[in-house]
Amino acid sequence: MTEKEKRFTLWYDEMDGGDFPFVGKKNANLGEMIKAGIPVSPGYAITIYANDKFLVDTGIKAELEKQLTELGQVTYESAKEASELAIRLIENAKVPADIEADILANYRKLCERTKTGVCPVAVRSSGAVSMPGQMETYLNIRGEKDLIDYVKKCWASAYNVEAIMYRMNKGMPFLFNIGVGIPKMVNSRVSGIIFTINPVNGDLSKISIDASCGLGEAVVSGMVTPDTYLVDKVTFDTIKTTIGSKETQCVYRENGSDIIQTEVPDEMRCVSCLTPQELKELARVGKLIENYYGKPYDIEFGIDADFHFPENIIILQVRPESVWSKKEAAPKTEQKKDAMDRMVSQLLCGVRIK
Amino acid sequence: MAKTFMDPHDVPKIPGTEGWEKLYPYQYIFSKEDPERAKFESSQIWFYDGLHYPEPHYPFDLIWDEAWSLALSQYNTRHYIIPPALGIDHRIVNGYVYISPVGVPDPEEVKRRVPLFMERAGYYFQNWDRLYENWKKKMTATIDKLEAMTFTDLPEIEDISVIKDGIGKGSGYELLRKYDELIDLGLLCWQYHFEFLNLCYAAQVTFFGTANQIFPDVPISTLVKMSAGFDPILFKPDSELIRLAKLAIEVGVEDIVLKPLKADELMKELEKHPVGKEWLKELEKARYPWFHISTGTGWYHTHISWNDNLNVPFDNIRTNIKVLKAGKELGRPTAKLLKERDRIADEYRKLIKTDADREAFDQGLAVARLVLPHAEDHNFYVEHWFHSLFWGKVRQVGQILQNAGFIENADEDIWFLKRDEIKQALWDHVTAWATGVRARGPSYWPKEIAWRKGVYEKFKQWTPPPALGVPPDVVTEPFTIVLWGVTSESLQKWLAGPAEGEVQNEIKGSAGSSGIVEGRARVLKTVDQLADLQEGEILVATTTSPSWAPAFVKIAGAVTDVGGPMCHAAIVCREYGLPTVVGTGKGTQLIKTGDLLRIDGDTGLVKILERAK
Repeated sequence: MTEKEKRFTLWYDEMDGGDFPFVGKKNANLGEMIKAGIPVSPGYAITIYANDKFLVDTGIKAELEKQLTELGQVTYESAKEASELAIRLIENAKVPADIEADILANYRKLCERTKTGVCPVAVRSSGAVSMPGQMETYLNIRGEKDLIDYVKKCWASAYNVEAIMYRMNKGMPFLFNIGVGIPKMVNSRVSGIIFTINPVNGDLSKISIDASCGLGEAVVSGMVTPDTYLVDKVTFDTIKTTIGSKETQCVYRENGSDIIQTEVPDEMRCVSCLTPQELKELARVGKLIENYYGKPYDIEFGIDADFHFPENIIILQVRPESVWSKKEAAPKTEQKKDAMDRMVSQLLCGVRIK
Repeated sequence: MAKTFMDPHDVPKIPGTEGWEKLYPYQYIFSKEDPERAKFESSQIWFYDGLHYPEPHYPFDLIWDEAWSLALSQYNTRHYIIPPALGIDHRIVNGYVYISPVGVPDPEEVKRRVPLFMERAGYYFQNWDRLYENWKKKMTATIDKLEAMTFTDLPEIEDISVIKDGIGKGSGYELLRKYDELIDLGLLCWQYHFEFLNLCYAAQVTFFGTANQIFPDVPISTLVKMSAGFDPILFKPDSELIRLAKLAIEVGVEDIVLKPLKADELMKELEKHPVGKEWLKELEKARYPWFHISTGTGWYHTHISWNDNLNVPFDNIRTNIKVLKAGKELGRPTAKLLKERDRIADEYRKLIKTDADREAFDQGLAVARLVLPHAEDHNFYVEHWFHSLFWGKVRQVGQILQNAGFIENADEDIWFLKRDEIKQALWDHVTAWATGVRARGPSYWPKEIAWRKGVYEKFKQWTPPPALGVPPDVVTEPFTIVLWGVTSESLQKWLAGPAEGEVQNEIKGSAGSSGIVEGRARVLKTVDQLADLQEGEILVATTTSPSWAPAFVKIAGAVTDVGGPMCHAAIVCREYGLPTVVGTGKGTQLIKTGDLLRIDGDTGLVKILERAK
């Protein structure tokens, strides 16, 4: 085993896409994004090896293997039984001291690095094989004790009935070690969506940004009219700014993980929620992501109130743009035999006064 | 568009200006005498040319408006046969010029014009470089002729040589002839002004229109960035002042130049110093033609040149010396700008998805780049170099009339006469001189001029409505689209306008240079007020020219009354990354020094957030 494979934790910026067998796909992707220059929330991964060592050292692995031979034919009932057993064993076990020390040392470093005191983090499952939505992610976890408890819950979530059934159906083994991601929760002062295309008319030379106060839910769900910006992809000049009404915002309840709605103060409604600097930086990052993946992208971002510019720009999620990119590229200009011919046709168009 | 503007015949007269119409040519007046013409006038859109004329017209200065009215129109209508567009018609209302693009109404006629345009415009585009070289020769020859002219008082008696050489003609006749020649040269220069310019704008319409089909949101300022030459001769005067500043430091005369003396005293001191004398020779070299640059746009006689007031370039040289001694760089990074121009064009090009669109884009960009040097440079030849010299010659004529008692002040009064009236006054003067009698002028003109000055002051107090008449369905005249930027949006803004008596706190102009900034306004009407400008202020000026170069290292942004995306202020501010709104029309009148402004260089909007106390 290489040095990397034997570690219990790895910082996001120590990994890249090729590390997914050790840390899981979600984590490896974040590492890859950082390598590409895409800013993501700071954090670290707990390796698949740590999960394995935990099961071995606690004797859970042996216990499960023993029990499994008695399971026989896999049915929903037998899977449910196995699931309950696995979850109980994992959640009640004590994490070996060396693993716990490593997880907590990183957590303390994260608290220090982000200057947030007791840093709220997410605990995200990250399998080396994609099992969409089968395992758990926990938000707003604070403090060392909770962190360890939720890491165990996360490990245990690989033994949800659905996850077990999924693996059985695919002919994968029952035992399944996963990576866990521990990113800082983004304390979004503002969040929104970047399209690296104008979604209204498909203009590829533009970057469109919608942004509103608070967490991203308000913008994504269309709960508010956000501020909208159109930025030139080549010059980064702002072409158009429209201030939205943005009446409400989504925020986390004080010391809780559920989301509540509050009113946006009047004085913030009538002004741009992004500073010109932030706007330009978001456009730059949007273009970077498009160039990295080679096509227009749809990107969720947050502006983290705990950081100063430009560290406050955090990319939450990226996916390919799906509307214009699917259309067949058709010429937008007419075929003309030469430049003079084109000139005549343009002169004849003129500017229509509506 | 359902709404229309005020009928041009219904614009209220300003009390106390009755009879103002005689200050201008009769054909410039809206009139109902001819029902057919009146109907045409009522059916057209007329917009106030605030882009060129932030102030009402002096009767003499209208020469340039008449000159461009003729030249621009003739090239559209009679030379190149722009298929859908005839000329631009002109009127004047309470001293302010209104213009109206005239279209070709019959679609069959438009079709018939196409092959003529292809042949004629095509010839110019195919032979552009050769014809443009020839243009420069014609232009400089015209300027040389103008420069050689001098106007002096009539002699008491003719020189003996007139007798002995058998000249056979008199100084009075010569004065009349030379005055005609002066006016002719002015009109000729404006003929040349438009020889290429209509085609330049047609090329820009082509590029802008094509790029817009491919990229619906691309702003004109970005298209200008892709096609601009970035080494226009308009910047040569400023680079000469940088050269002179560097030279002063190199040869060690900078301490003399830095003395806070008036230009003439300073030059006397330098003359006494052996090295200073050499430096002055370099200054003289730079003066012709580069100091013929106007401190304004050159459209008004009040816009004097550096050669008219050497204090302006000396002040700038002093600023340059200080900047250089502080170890800072000066000068335009032309190579970097060109690289950036190519980067923007290349990146845009790479975003194009089909070969057909790429070809269209390339065709458009190629013609736009072909014409750009002329579009940028013609201004220096005509509005700066020629006009500056021309105003000086007219002042000489004014001096003759002042000496003859026709006017009281050569510098101020002659402009209140129409150019034909000056000819009449010269006739009066010349015949009285020949006959040996009293002319009528001294009892006629001073009274008339005093009245006209009163009318002019009242014009200044008036705010011209942005447009009159009926908006058309479509505008096809290239200048109207590119230069004046007439669009649905601008017409809507004009229609909305501030209500009567409402305090205007928002001013709409064109986007000059991207970005938003807030700051205190500093309203400067002329370049010699530049010393008042403080670090971080927003410069509000009628217009800027290279004389204003020292301002741009200090300011946070700029607002001008006059100019489009290719004007001096817009170019320089884009280079410095300063938000800028140009062509506001009335910025210097509505904004006061000390007002807190927010300017949006992307939308072209200026907001007065707080009035100065």
